[in-house]
Amino acid sequence: MTPGTQFAAAGGVVARVLRFAVPLILLSALGFVPLADLGANATKVLFLTCLSIGASVAWNILGGFTGQPSFGFAVFYGLGAYTSALCINGGVNPYLSYPLAAGIAALASLLIGLPTFRLRGPYFAIATIGVSEAVRVVMTNLAFTGGASGYRITEQVPFRQLEHYYTGLALAALAVVISMLVRYSRFGLGLRAIRDDQEAAADSGVNPYVSKLAAHAVAAALTGATGGVYARYAAFISPDGVFAFQRSVAILLMPIIGGVNTIWGPVLGGGVYGVIEEELTARFPEFHLLLYGALVILIILFEPGGLMGLLGRMRRLVLRLRVGSWQPS
Amino acid sequence: MAAILTLEGVSKYFAGLAALDGVSFEVREGEIVGLIGPNGAGKTTLFSIIAGSQAPTSGKITFQGRDITGVKSFRAVHAGIARTHQITKPFRSMTVRENVEVGLRFGRQSGAHSAGRGPIQNQVREILALVGIERLADMSSVTLPVGDLKRLELARTLAARPSLLLLDEVCAGLTESEMASILDLLRDIQKRGTTIIYVEHNLRAILSTCQHVVVLNFGKKLAEGPPQEMQNNPAVIEAYIGKKAEA
Repeated sequence: MTPGTQFAAAGGVVARVLRFAVPLILLSALGFVPLADLGANATKVLFLTCLSIGASVAWNILGGFTGQPSFGFAVFYGLGAYTSALCINGGVNPYLSYPLAAGIAALASLLIGLPTFRLRGPYFAIATIGVSEAVRVVMTNLAFTGGASGYRITEQVPFRQLEHYYTGLALAALAVVISMLVRYSRFGLGLRAIRDDQEAAADSGVNPYVSKLAAHAVAAALTGATGGVYARYAAFISPDGVFAFQRSVAILLMPIIGGVNTIWGPVLGGGVYGVIEEELTARFPEFHLLLYGALVILIILFEPGGLMGLLGRMRRLVLRLRVGSWQPS
Repeated sequence: MAAILTLEGVSKYFAGLAALDGVSFEVREGEIVGLIGPNGAGKTTLFSIIAGSQAPTSGKITFQGRDITGVKSFRAVHAGIARTHQITKPFRSMTVRENVEVGLRFGRQSGAHSAGRGPIQNQVREILALVGIERLADMSSVTLPVGDLKRLELARTLAARPSLLLLDEVCAGLTESEMASILDLLRDIQKRGTTIIYVEHNLRAILSTCQHVVVLNFGKKLAEGPPQEMQNNPAVIEAYIGKKAEA
């Protein structure tokens, strides 16, 4: 083995260690963040960032691993939010309402998936927009949830921001763990095969329809739980907030920014989006969507792999420079 | 030998155009059957129908005594039928090893049935060695040249452990030596007990490997029989190169 290849092999080991160490360190750091006493506003931003990460990672299971870009994830977010809200107001423990929110969202994903997964590519994407808008209109006119006026959650307990923060962090961590389990399982291998070539996948024994429905359900369940956690924090939800088309776009944008079809890209994208979204919305209330649009165009044109692709490119450049600097004696 | 596959009056219409019109024949277990015919004869359509990628408009297909007419392709794979494609379809984001793993983990003897064959990586290695691309196991499938892609497609199909293998022009675009080695491989696969239906334009390849040949023309079965006989059959010659002009 030449020193060059030794260096590359050592680089491979380091990369493997980093792959697990960095997220663990990051997660531990996020766990200790509140101890630094950042103040209510910064904690709120971090809480919302955790939720962004949860939804981003969830979308990636369907849009990234399976290659089925859905523009309708606000449906699951909204249904999760309303399920939790109704449960909490009905006296159910909030922590029990989250699995219920996940369940309702998963059920909805099956109802939506059964007809829409008969479509492919852009037709599927368009169908999800249609379903999403239809659900929003129905919710706007549904009397028992307050219709367009929205729905208020009344809890007889004091507001504890840290509890919300840790719930959000746990949800984000759960989403990442589920995403990893999916990615490295037989199920995940089948999803990747579908993403690459659906005909070839079916000709290898993969059932594309059932696999897509299952991926949709897992992603919807996580998104629904995220919506539930958000609803309890916000204490007030409305169809124009949780079911908004912008919400669907945001959920899809985060993994694209970070890098679709990877484990950590959506985490990175959700993190970046969560942190800057508040600031951008406050500073440019009219233009922040335009900025995101421009960002997506730039990413698709120059780095379809998103931030992860960019990091990979930089890593290869550094490795090449260092291996190149080695001279035989 | 018993028939492993029986086609009875299989037809396929595309908006009134008959791509296949009442095709019937039998494939006996353990044979290599050549399926030949001029361009547009319906060979690939027939393949897609047997493999479940398309449903026939009418007719019946029986495989190992079971009616499999119109079953979906993944069910056909689980029943023991696997196909390759004329234009190879590798899983482009995967390595060669992972491509084969898909066939192993979702094919006929996946899950509980694969127990006893050893760890999955050993099975992958065994199949890659059989088709002669073991050295490429960790390469990304997008980087492979045509010849190796054809072998990868064959490896992934074999990984599904089929009893009936459908090969669509596996020699197209290959050099003479590559073709000879693929044909040796087909004979080897046959010896291991797999029945093969082989679509090929190269008549030399068909003559040197097949025990039986079915000739299609304009969606109909023109003739069938031993390869030498088909080569001298006036109807087959006419379908391929036309009639002698009358003086």
